[in-house]
Amino acid sequence: MSGTLGVIALLVLLTLGVPIGVAMGLVGMVGLMVLLGPEPAIVKSGVVLFETVSRYELGVLPLFLLMAHLCFAAGASRDFFDAAARMIGHRRGGLALASIAGCAGFGAVSGSSLATAATIGLIGLPEMKRRGYSDALATGSIAAGGTLGSIIPPSGALIVFGIIAEESIGKLFTAAILPGITQTLFYMITIVLLCRWRPSIAPTAERASWAERRAALLRVSDVGGLILVVLAGIAFGWFTPTEAASVGAVGSLALCAWRRALSRTTLMNSLAQTLRTTGMIYVVIVGALIFSVFMSVTGLAAQVEALMAGLGGGPIVAIIVMTVLLLLLGSVLDGLALMLLTTPILLPIIVNLGLSPIWFGIYLIRTMEIGFVHPPIGINLYVIQGIAQDTPLTRIFKGVVPFLAADFVHLSFLIAVPALALALPAWLGQ
Amino acid sequence: MADVNPQDSRHTEARGPLFYIGAAGLLLAMAVEAVSVIGRHIGVPLLGAIEIIQSAILLTATAAMVSTTICRAHARVTLLADRVGPSARGALKRISALLSVLFFAGLAAGSLWLTVDTWSEFEESELLHISFRPLRLVSFAGAAVIAALFLRELFRRTGERR
Repeated sequence: MSGTLGVIALLVLLTLGVPIGVAMGLVGMVGLMVLLGPEPAIVKSGVVLFETVSRYELGVLPLFLLMAHLCFAAGASRDFFDAAARMIGHRRGGLALASIAGCAGFGAVSGSSLATAATIGLIGLPEMKRRGYSDALATGSIAAGGTLGSIIPPSGALIVFGIIAEESIGKLFTAAILPGITQTLFYMITIVLLCRWRPSIAPTAERASWAERRAALLRVSDVGGLILVVLAGIAFGWFTPTEAASVGAVGSLALCAWRRALSRTTLMNSLAQTLRTTGMIYVVIVGALIFSVFMSVTGLAAQVEALMAGLGGGPIVAIIVMTVLLLLLGSVLDGLALMLLTTPILLPIIVNLGLSPIWFGIYLIRTMEIGFVHPPIGINLYVIQGIAQDTPLTRIFKGVVPFLAADFVHLSFLIAVPALALALPAWLGQ
Repeated sequence: MADVNPQDSRHTEARGPLFYIGAAGLLLAMAVEAVSVIGRHIGVPLLGAIEIIQSAILLTATAAMVSTTICRAHARVTLLADRVGPSARGALKRISALLSVLFFAGLAAGSLWLTVDTWSEFEESELLHISFRPLRLVSFAGAAVIAALFLRELFRRTGERR
């Protein structure tokens, strides 16, 4: 009962616009006061705060953020799109495909869905408009492509999940590689099919010369190499995620210097933006951890599990019920709030069902991503509308529908074949 | 992960000591970790690197949380706030500020409780013997300052309403 009341109170506070971390932390703290008494609740909250801000593993977060901001300052944001556009932009739908490739590449740097959609949108949308692409295809492909930022490692959402669920961040990063690649391919196949069905939505264009292609590939090779070193380092066990983040941050500083973009202003701006985002995420994590303690004391997870067991049908039915629940909640909550609210309740159920928490992390983030592009919240759609102001929101919604269909097929694939997420970590001995 | 928004101009705001503390902690953590990785791969491990990074990250995280509060950049769900009139929005902001004061005051109280409780135990790290006392004080001070900032926001908003 207290767990259910806690969840309802949390949803009310979130709807009222209380900061996510504060809402979760306050519900957790008050709930613990009611269940255990004021002293343990206050002391436990103090313990959570100190352990979170002094946690070595969480150093991965500001360091990857710094890497992202420095890469952005070095001008790497448009390089992935430019390189892909030079290689395949002349084909029918080539610029939409290049936008997806650009989102995948930049997503690996930024680790954020919104940032990826906004950045590639600013570069790709005017280019597609100039070449006569349908505005539904142009906006839909970038809104959907932006979600790759949350799954392709290093990803902020994966880091936060790893901390809340107490799972290895390195293993989560490795597990996300194949789902990230297959999601990119699913989006590309969607574009190819759309262009075959209605060729007029994406005209062909002039082919770039081989000299232009070489130059574009050369330009992206340094930041691409840096990302590869960071990811390979984590996957092959050369570094821990925190070490990889620091190698990435030092590498991006060198990249800025190499590209003659390193100045006092650049460094200061990158540090300021890193600190602001870091502070925001730390507050959310502290709140979510206190909420998580409260949830474990209430035993809500056991009650939900018993409810699901009553449905019969085993793990598959439980996962289908969870998916429907997550998609419904994703219609009204933003991704971060959804993940933090549901992890303490659903994770114990997943473990008791004999499923992998690592797989659950990838599945949860994949479900959360769908919420970024489906109405009524679909925050990526609003970001894209902010850039393509002459395109009505209804056209953007229409444009994203085929990609949503691809998302559902991909999510079903991930549920039916957990090895999609688990094979790589197992193969690499993690 | 990164709030890398090319249209975002908030980063041009004035920077005070808080920024320099947070930035110094972050750069220190980055440098120590990078040296530690190189050292390990060439066979000269940097002992106590994790302990230095823990302290540096504590400074960075605390400064960052205070900075975020000053910039009013906390993550929120704006589903309702975006759809109501100015007076209702003002009321929602006051409720939010009041609840934030309570939460951070609770965190500050918990941190202070632990600091006092462990003061005579002389806790320190294993290798470099870094004392936990100042670290616990920083954590308490951070929570207390954030609570005070939200309190100021609450009274400012109440004043604006009058």
